[in-house]
Amino acid sequence: MDMASRRFTWLYAKSQLKLKYRYTSLGFLWNLLEPALYLAVLSFVFSVVNRMSMGDYAVFLFSGLVPWRYFEKVVTTCMDSIVQGDWLLKKLPVSPFALPLTRWAVASAEFGFSFLVTLLLLTFLKKGWTVHCLVLPLAAVPWSLFALGLGLICATLFTFFRDIRPIVQMALMFAFFSAPILYRPQLFPGGSLQASLLVWHPITYFAALFQKPIYSGRWPGGLDWAVALGCAAVSLLVGWAAVTRARSRFYFFL
Amino acid sequence: MAPDVFRLDDVSVSFRKHAIEERSLKHALANALKERPAAVHRALRGVSLRVPRGQHLGVIGRNGAGKSTLLRVLARVIGPQVGSVYVDRRCHVVPLLELGIGFQPDLSGIENTHLAGALMGYSYAEIEARLPSIMEFAELGDFIYEPVKNYSSGMYARLAFALATDVEPEVLLVDEVFGVGDEFFMAKCVTRMRRLMAGGTTTVFVSHALDFLLAHCERLVWLDAGRIVLDGAPADVAAAYRCGAGQRGEA
Repeated sequence: MDMASRRFTWLYAKSQLKLKYRYTSLGFLWNLLEPALYLAVLSFVFSVVNRMSMGDYAVFLFSGLVPWRYFEKVVTTCMDSIVQGDWLLKKLPVSPFALPLTRWAVASAEFGFSFLVTLLLLTFLKKGWTVHCLVLPLAAVPWSLFALGLGLICATLFTFFRDIRPIVQMALMFAFFSAPILYRPQLFPGGSLQASLLVWHPITYFAALFQKPIYSGRWPGGLDWAVALGCAAVSLLVGWAAVTRARSRFYFFL
Repeated sequence: MAPDVFRLDDVSVSFRKHAIEERSLKHALANALKERPAAVHRALRGVSLRVPRGQHLGVIGRNGAGKSTLLRVLARVIGPQVGSVYVDRRCHVVPLLELGIGFQPDLSGIENTHLAGALMGYSYAEIEARLPSIMEFAELGDFIYEPVKNYSSGMYARLAFALATDVEPEVLLVDEVFGVGDEFFMAKCVTRMRRLMAGGTTTVFVSHALDFLLAHCERLVWLDAGRIVLDGAPADVAAAYRCGAGQRGEA
């Protein structure tokens, strides 16, 4: 990506963040309030469904849900970024990477705020903090790169095939409900079909990067890191190659 | 002879027709199975052109002749499907295909100046240093702190033009942007353009304003149906165009 596109990406992402809250009375506070309210409602509802103490369940839920929401937002917002960037890509020789990268940067900043809120809420709910939580900033990296890679792939596909959007949304919904984010993997007895499926579910390992340090007070395992970083590297490579190969044809499909 | 800023060799650009219905998986699969040849509109056909540094070139032609496509090829917005395009990467090229590209309605004039300036390849500090002269040319007063969605079309155009031309690009590609604003603004724009051209900025104008091109360009290219019909001295090309295009219009 050339220097002009890099500068534009940075300034555009900053302006998008600024604009999001410019005309709201509580301004930037919404960055903190929005995830707090969302998490409070979810933890109340699902602690009843799961028959767990609300505090215990909320700690488990927050640890998986906050990175998932970030992941989902990056993929869905990156998907239409190139198509919606026709006002730019049809007028100036800007790198097409600038548009998905802007969406990724905005979502990453919002994830940072959400994560701060989560930590704040957890100080009330969680008993006993361990040193394992220090790994959390690192644990966000595979989530972030995996999301960006898939976002680039979806952005390329969506430019050529507009009916990709519902397919991606369905796939994300399936991935969410089949992953151990709303429920604990221990719910299923070892050797059961559900337990075997969870072993093959990549989000199981991504979720473990946050759930183990926050909920279980353990370090994420080597397999968790290997699967998460492997998926992130492959998706990023495929996403980068997809945009690079297709960039000369984008103009004709915008 | 001055080195080339642009060199196009046998460049062709085609657009697929019926592109809207083709943007679905169903259509893509059907096309792949039946291998139907896609219907295309050929916007440029075998165009070869050299633009030396410092030259002021005008491109004329009727609507749909391929003028804007040619400018987008020079700006590297469109890559040709056939032929080759050389652009001297050492030159700072500013495409002015539309006034206010990159402007966000809810951002203020100053914020938009920085954002659009970044798109033109300038750093935050460079734009910051040029802000006083940009503001002076744009004559916006305190409106520079207002969101640009509250600007009149003239104010919007003044700010956009001030930004694009204050930075003194080495190459300027202009696509019919003088049609906005009042006559005083037009006169200001023309004066500034003359200054840039006198200072050595290579310019490529696409315009229907033949008199403007005759007064300011040293070479004219007449495009028709994606092909170069005539390339030469402005007076000769303009006379041939008026005669040829006029006859077509009557036909």
